[in-house]
Amino acid sequence: MNPITTGAPGVAGAAGAAGAVGSATRRLAARLAVRLAARVLPPLIAVLLVLSLWEVVFLAGWRPPYVLPAPAEVLQRFAAALVEAKFWVSLTTTLIRAFVGFGLAVLIGTGIGLLVSGSRVLRSAIGSLITGMQTMPSIAWFPFAILLFGLSEQAIEFVVVLGAAPSIANGLISGIDEVPPPLLRTAKALGAKGLVLYRHIVLPAALPAYLSGLKQGWAFAWRSLMAGELLVIIASRPSLGAQLQFFREFADTAGLMSTMLVILLLGMAVDGGFSYLSRRIQARRGLGTDRASARG
Amino acid sequence: MSLPAIVSADQAPKSGEDWGIRVRSVGKTFARAAAGTAALDGVNLTIAEGEFVALLGRSGCGKSTLLNLIAGLELPTSGSIETGRRRIGMMFQDANLFPWLTVRGNIELALKLSGVPRADFKDRVDELLESVRLPDAGSLRPHELSGGMRQRVALARTLAQDCRILLMDEPFGALDAITRDAMHDETERIWAERGLTVLFVTHNVREAARLGDRVVVMAPSPGRIESELIVNLPRPRMIDGPAVASRAAELHARLQDGPR
Repeated sequence: MNPITTGAPGVAGAAGAAGAVGSATRRLAARLAVRLAARVLPPLIAVLLVLSLWEVVFLAGWRPPYVLPAPAEVLQRFAAALVEAKFWVSLTTTLIRAFVGFGLAVLIGTGIGLLVSGSRVLRSAIGSLITGMQTMPSIAWFPFAILLFGLSEQAIEFVVVLGAAPSIANGLISGIDEVPPPLLRTAKALGAKGLVLYRHIVLPAALPAYLSGLKQGWAFAWRSLMAGELLVIIASRPSLGAQLQFFREFADTAGLMSTMLVILLLGMAVDGGFSYLSRRIQARRGLGTDRASARG
Repeated sequence: MSLPAIVSADQAPKSGEDWGIRVRSVGKTFARAAAGTAALDGVNLTIAEGEFVALLGRSGCGKSTLLNLIAGLELPTSGSIETGRRRIGMMFQDANLFPWLTVRGNIELALKLSGVPRADFKDRVDELLESVRLPDAGSLRPHELSGGMRQRVALARTLAQDCRILLMDEPFGALDAITRDAMHDETERIWAERGLTVLFVTHNVREAARLGDRVVVMAPSPGRIESELIVNLPRPRMIDGPAVASRAAELHARLQDGPR
């Protein structure tokens, strides 16, 4: 959206023009405020509703306060954790695991996706296996991973990659399969073939589906990682998952819930990033949002 | 039946014997078609360099198949097609612009695919947009354009290949009448300015009479060439004018003669 341009009013008309500019700016500010409210208010109200329901259950005394603390206590713990060194060490460990695992899954999933989409033999060989892997709960891999790698980083990363890579591969494969044939015909008529066709037409056309594969892959990676950190606790290496386990053992529900809040917020932040990216890409192509298509 | 062959420029006639497209007893049968139904059978067609030929017929008579064969997107089952070493551009009913690229990006991709050095991109794109009368559309995205503008960009993208032969497969079939009239004018102007050889597929008799130096009428099952009409009218022609209308009536009668 273009900002309102004020131009350079002549001396005689300066006062009137300044007044017009002032009211235009006010209108713009009002419009922005309305749009911001429309974006922010509904989720804010939802959160407040959940918190008040929780508060009611707490006040009703359904469980003793040390088992189910009040929302305010959890939020205090959350705020307190933000200034603890240990929290940041745990967070860093978990995030590094997440990014390494997800990064490996992207490399492997993309590689497999490219190979399978390009080869009929490979597709019939492992196409349905990839989909099958997607439906397999990744926590079921952990006993096997622990036997293979012991209680180690590798065991965790192994399962994170297995959880995320199939979704990424499938996203890419369906993206490539669903490139509209007329675009391919046009590209061939323009002289594109082989790798050039892939690089300039097939892959860009597959990008939205690939991105949704990445987003789904991230969700699986994050879940697998939390399962892994609960099951594979490595001594002297605190993580968010290990914290959950410790807080449970010490019956520290407030600490437990504040850690859960961190996990929820991190997952939402990354997911939000992917959603933002895919909305932008869709809008640039005139797909998705009504606002983009209405402009045509 | 002779073997399918695409004659290369080495075997092309010596200079002086100029020709645009030569189709010799071409047949095409699709693998999945029922036995004995040929999409094309015994098609002979010679188009002179610089000629504007309209290929007219009902749907299913093999017009598009013939176009795809000439473009080299498919191979004939029998017969041969000669186009020399001339570059062939092709346009379809849908503009098929790449939606992830801007208008400029679409044209640049075509330039890149035909080996134009990157340093020349800007001037060439500007020149091409100028020639389809969209000088300011470079930064727009395909979904921001109207149907007519999209076809103009598609035309610019096709011309970016520096083609000498332009194959058009019902390119204006999805446009409203007024926009289509304007596109006829543009196509005619660009054909004349660049000395292109144009083969224009349509099922619209008026469009055929408006544009073609010559109209080739095709008939279905099997797809074949039924007759030809030399339009022989001065340009520019009015699509609603009496001269075009009389040629169109003649073409209409010929289309109705055939089996339905």
